[in-house]
Amino acid sequence: MQEIIIGIGVTALAGALAAVAGAAEDTESNIGSQGDPNSQVQLAPQMGYTHRIYNKAVSGEPPAYTLWVTLACGVAWAFIMMNVNAVLAIIFGTVLATFVQGIYATTAYLGRTASLSKFGQPVFIDVLKSVTTVTMGHAFVAIFTTVTACYLMSTVLHHPFALPLLGVVWGLALGAAGSATGNPYYGKERQYQNQKFGAGVPISASGNIVRYAEAGQRSSIDNGFFTAKLGGPASGLCFGLIVFFELWRTVLFEPIANGWGAVVAGVVIILIFMIIDRYVEVWARKNYGPYTAAATEA
Amino acid sequence: MSAIAAKPAGNAGAFQPVASVIAIILAVIFIGVAYLLGNTGILSGGAMAPMMTLVGIIVGAALIAFGVHFVPVGGAPAAMGQSPGIATGVAMLATGAGLAGLFGGAWAASLGFGVALAGGAIGGGLMMAITCLMVNISYVYGMGIPAASGKVAKDPITGDSQAEYKSQGTEGHGLPFISYVGGVIGGLFGGLGGTLIYIQLLNFYNASFAAVGIVGEDAPVLAVGLAGIFAIGMFLVIAVLSAYNITGTIEGPHDPKFKRFPRAIVAAICASGICGLVALLVVAVL
Repeated sequence: MQEIIIGIGVTALAGALAAVAGAAEDTESNIGSQGDPNSQVQLAPQMGYTHRIYNKAVSGEPPAYTLWVTLACGVAWAFIMMNVNAVLAIIFGTVLATFVQGIYATTAYLGRTASLSKFGQPVFIDVLKSVTTVTMGHAFVAIFTTVTACYLMSTVLHHPFALPLLGVVWGLALGAAGSATGNPYYGKERQYQNQKFGAGVPISASGNIVRYAEAGQRSSIDNGFFTAKLGGPASGLCFGLIVFFELWRTVLFEPIANGWGAVVAGVVIILIFMIIDRYVEVWARKNYGPYTAAATEA
Repeated sequence: MSAIAAKPAGNAGAFQPVASVIAIILAVIFIGVAYLLGNTGILSGGAMAPMMTLVGIIVGAALIAFGVHFVPVGGAPAAMGQSPGIATGVAMLATGAGLAGLFGGAWAASLGFGVALAGGAIGGGLMMAITCLMVNISYVYGMGIPAASGKVAKDPITGDSQAEYKSQGTEGHGLPFISYVGGVIGGLFGGLGGTLIYIQLLNFYNASFAAVGIVGEDAPVLAVGLAGIFAIGMFLVIAVLSAYNITGTIEGPHDPKFKRFPRAIVAAICASGICGLVALLVVAVL
């Protein structure tokens, strides 16, 4: 009984850590323009729109976060094996992974932006200096919380995978969840505020991203401010719910019917999410109505 | 040219009988090699154990390749609300779901084969169910866009008509219910296939270590680590391979590109044959 209660507590804590991780991950990737909308940042100068938006996507967020989280988990694991205090070990690992992220961000920004020089896109050194450190700060939060959640799964919940292997699994899942949920809000709502709210961006508008803020040219730090309102929390909720329900159904229901209890609980949770999704879909149709000609963009 | 404007050439996606037959023959050769290696004692467990392990791995890979085609992925265009699906890459999302499944399956591995496979499948499905819901919430509450598909006139499950909700100049946006269900089914297949590969490898490594006298506390840890790494590696191989088959975006089971799945399954059978053989040979020198 005590084990189950501890398990539930750890499940809640891991879910909360994952929620913070998801929110920080999405904000980090939006400030650094690492998600799918980076194609529009890369495309803009080719369409004649030079800008001051950071662009560090070499691969997507999932493989990048797999690297950073696994690196942090691996270093932390090595230190723990050397009998270093676990909290310190996780911090050491995260700091190292954050420096790797900083190097990645710098080289990616310089490389990607330099490749656009033929379209007149300059490399802004002040953008490099100010934005890189901000993404590193967010990356630290995302990596630290994910590694801590993995550590809890490994030591308290006794998952058979070693810490670095859990880092691979949850680093990739973090990137996938954040990229899936947060990208549309950054890609459409932030980059295309010149388009009407409540409609998709016409393909003909590709590359025509908003480049000016209220005072002067927009830089990527403004993107963090904007997307931290909905995209970040939505990504955090997404990753937090995934971690929470994955652990919760196992901790609480696995003792029932030799493990089949967790399977049945999983099916019920999936069906509940399916019903919520259907409700959201119908709600949107009822409240927004069909697309009308009056909303047509010029 | 943007990614969305790039149309696949001529017969891209068509089933190619000659190449498929060659791939199947290669896979049979790999299974034969596993049989021979077991028979000669290079792999432990006798002739049948390595062969059956490899067959299990190949079946798992085929399940993953099939499952990936269900996952609705819109890539960069989806992030702009220019096409339906989830705004990330096919390989990444399918792998994320599959690994979440593998996490659950590995956890339940000690409870038996059936529970582990079911636990893995549900883990993948759960990850996709939550992700797909949050994607729709982003579209609906963050951007004010209802879900609409450009590929079908009516949603095959709910019967909702699609065209009038589609914004002008786009191919649709959000996740219509059929895409949501497709995502969950894709997650189920991914988790199932990944866990099957993991369990096959885990049993084989455990048996191999025991056969050569490697016992004690570290042996199961090593077996779990090796099986986990190879299962994740093979997941990435199959997901990337299937992503090339899909080329860009897919809306789910109602998308015409879904019909390409036999080609990916054949390729997955061949690729997992050689990858599985390497995974088995890791413990051959013992």
